[in-house]
Amino acid sequence: MLQGVKHVAPLLVPVIPFGLALGVSIATSPTVGSASGMWSSLMVFAGSAQLVAVHMLDEGAGIWLVALTIWIINARHLMYSAALAPKVAGAPRWLRLVSSHVMTDQVFAVADRLSSDRGSRYCVSFVFGGGLFSLALWNVLTAGGLILGDAIPTSWSFDFAIVLLFGGLMVLSITNRAGVVAAVVGGAAALVTAGLPNGSGLLVAALIGVGAAAGFDAIASEQQAMVGGPGGSERPSKHP
Amino acid sequence: MTVFLAFMLGGLGTYLSRASFVGILGASAIPKTIERNLRYVAPSVFAAIVVSNLAMQPPDGSAGQTSRIIAALIAGAVVAKTRSVPIMLTAGMVVLWLADWLAH
Repeated sequence: MLQGVKHVAPLLVPVIPFGLALGVSIATSPTVGSASGMWSSLMVFAGSAQLVAVHMLDEGAGIWLVALTIWIINARHLMYSAALAPKVAGAPRWLRLVSSHVMTDQVFAVADRLSSDRGSRYCVSFVFGGGLFSLALWNVLTAGGLILGDAIPTSWSFDFAIVLLFGGLMVLSITNRAGVVAAVVGGAAALVTAGLPNGSGLLVAALIGVGAAAGFDAIASEQQAMVGGPGGSERPSKHP
Repeated sequence: MTVFLAFMLGGLGTYLSRASFVGILGASAIPKTIERNLRYVAPSVFAAIVVSNLAMQPPDGSAGQTSRIIAALIAGAVVAKTRSVPIMLTAGMVVLWLADWLAH
């Protein structure tokens, strides 16, 4: 568990301004009160979906539409869950079920790069430790933003830190040429799908990127098989 | 109460996404052909998040879009070289402030 905390903690620095900003948007919202706002940080625990939900509620959207939008924005976790499942398959089910709630983008990013030799028990504790720490911090930050209000001037542009973080995680997650294809196609597709309803653009773009990488991978390994060269265009990645 | 319920429903659905393969269906529910390609989830999702953020109008009074794109590109090069998130974050923010200062 402590290993999870140790590796996830550095990724949470850019989350600080994001969590505070969420608290501020709840504090200034005419519809979302402090208690419901804190409830969202415990229950939904996903910043971008929470921000969009607060905004929608302020504009008078109904609960089903808000819930649906939260589901769609957070549906990327389905892909994270599939990617992590083989690594934790041997761990007790209750531990996998409990850990799931705290599996965020950042936790996934680090756990995804864990070597499978680590064993299921290690991987699931890693997710649980890193995730629980993130959940605690996220709630402290939400409360902090609620109480302190606009403490950080917008002109310092700290909202950009979270974008940088995702960019860095993207670079670190690339282990071969098909990974580059996934990033380039997924990123380019996001420009085209940006207008899709309920925040579904991200999900569609991500699927297109994975599909393109899968296609590239299939063609590349077919060519390799024909040439009969030594296998794999992969280079070993650093494991946390 | 409405707001409370909206977040509860939203949270339940989010949990189902997170637990889907890790805890509910299990890894055996994933076809072998797909399992092999799950390593492309991270680069694709994270790239889509970055690009859609960069495409959005930055908050009023903060650094502009061009400065953000320049900072993101340099930070990307820095992390590719150093493999360090803290160094990348520092470099990216410094470049952003510099570019924004030059733009004014």
